[in-house]
Amino acid sequence: MDQLPPVDPGQIELDVPRPSADPELPGPFPVGRYADKLQEEMRKRARVLLVGEVTGVGRSRVQAYFELRDGDGAVPCAIWLNDLERAGLPEGALRDGVELVIAGGPDYYPGGGAASPSFCFRATHLRLAGEGDLMLRLEALRKQLRGEGLFELQRQLRRPLLPRALGVVTAESGAARRDLVAGLQRRGWAGTVVWAFAPVQDRRAEPAITAAIQDLAARPEVEAIVVTRGGGSLADLWAFCDETLCRTVAMLRVPVVSAVGHERDSTLIDDVAAVACSTPTHAAEAAVPLDCVAARRELGRAGHSLRRAADGAVGARARHLGSLARGPARALRRERSQLNQKIREVRAATERGLNERSAFQRRIAAVVLDRVRRRAIERTAAGRAEERRRGAIIERAAARDLERRREVLRQAAVTLRAHDPERTLERGYALAEGSDGEAVTSAHAAAAAGDVRLRFADGRVGARVDAEVERDG
Amino acid sequence: MAEGEKPPSYEAAVERLEEIIDRLDSGQAGLRETLELCREGRELVGYCAGELDAVGEGLKELRLDELAARLDPDAT
Repeated sequence: MDQLPPVDPGQIELDVPRPSADPELPGPFPVGRYADKLQEEMRKRARVLLVGEVTGVGRSRVQAYFELRDGDGAVPCAIWLNDLERAGLPEGALRDGVELVIAGGPDYYPGGGAASPSFCFRATHLRLAGEGDLMLRLEALRKQLRGEGLFELQRQLRRPLLPRALGVVTAESGAARRDLVAGLQRRGWAGTVVWAFAPVQDRRAEPAITAAIQDLAARPEVEAIVVTRGGGSLADLWAFCDETLCRTVAMLRVPVVSAVGHERDSTLIDDVAAVACSTPTHAAEAAVPLDCVAARRELGRAGHSLRRAADGAVGARARHLGSLARGPARALRRERSQLNQKIREVRAATERGLNERSAFQRRIAAVVLDRVRRRAIERTAAGRAEERRRGAIIERAAARDLERRREVLRQAAVTLRAHDPERTLERGYALAEGSDGEAVTSAHAAAAAGDVRLRFADGRVGARVDAEVERDG
Repeated sequence: MAEGEKPPSYEAAVERLEEIIDRLDSGQAGLRETLELCREGRELVGYCAGELDAVGEGLKELRLDELAARLDPDAT
């Protein structure tokens, strides 16, 4: 909206002499005329739409009046009752806390008589602000707070893993309270909850919620604050978009968990809080990040690990010491075993060496024997040749000797034949033989024998000797 | 953590306890260190158990307005 320009003094007729002691300013003017002129100037101002929250609603016989305000300021407003009726608001809709969009412009009532002058924004039309109007305001405020860095402050705070005490701002009678408690119990958390009950929907909600948050933050035992309520329209949740409330939350040194509305709802407190949750149950998990049930289980396991480690450390070392104490005997056994092993190896190696040597000797003997055999064979062959040569010589000598002997024999045979009586018989002689076949070589023997046999060359004949021996002579 | 010293927070206690168990599980700690770690670990377990007990004995619900009235009777 343009700034209201000062009333142009040139448009007001000056008919009063100016004392020389007055400042160099136009006037003085009669105030009633100035007030009329002011009203005229005001009514020339541009007509606009305003949006804000209604407070201080009142009525007179002819008009309704109220203030329209937001976090930055307020304007006194008035509307003639007939204009109000034309607006067609539901019965009772014009009340504190509602968001209105009004059309009109500035107006000034100069007063008169006993009536006091007053300034107001003269509304000629009005309607309840819709989601779109609120969203525009919300986005503008969101942009402003983000620009000031207020969204980061809470998120930088350390949130305790296991707070002993929580502060909770919510409606005393509401499902959010019940859901939050159920969520805490599901996590096994049963610490202290400091309830700060506050209205969460009307005009009184914003300061009440802000005060509750501040009071909880001032409690030393409170380690985190949960602000929660159920879902609703943006208008219902508008208290949680209040600039003062959001600035308060952003500046707190205690982490704030917001769980306002449902998942689709996005209030400004969600932006400035340390954590924004979609449900009270989720808020319980964010306010007590530690699942106490699981933590107790884990703690039991940790205790068991420590006992096992302690027992193990001592036990293992005791076993190690015992092992060390048994070390010399074990080393002796090991050495003895190694020695026995060496002996077995030596024996085996010896046997293996002997066998190898025996085999080697056998191989050598075989080679030698083979060589000897070959030499023997060679010598035998040579001997045989010699023998054959000598045999031939002997055979030749024997043949010669045999021939010689045959010759001697032939000579002897010839000689013998010469002396053979048979040859004498062949020459006509006869040989007297006794009955016993013995030769009778004398006349006496013949006479004595009586009968003799005369042997001739061609046979024998018997003969009787019957004469006496006659001597030749 | 020195003997008898209280951890600054449950988170710090749990973090230190995990470090201790990791160290013990590694098998790298000597006997003296192991016994010292076990002592510290037992203290931390005791502290954590105490913290859990403190939030495990039943939900205690207080009203801020009553607490305020107790502190400042004239305010009501």
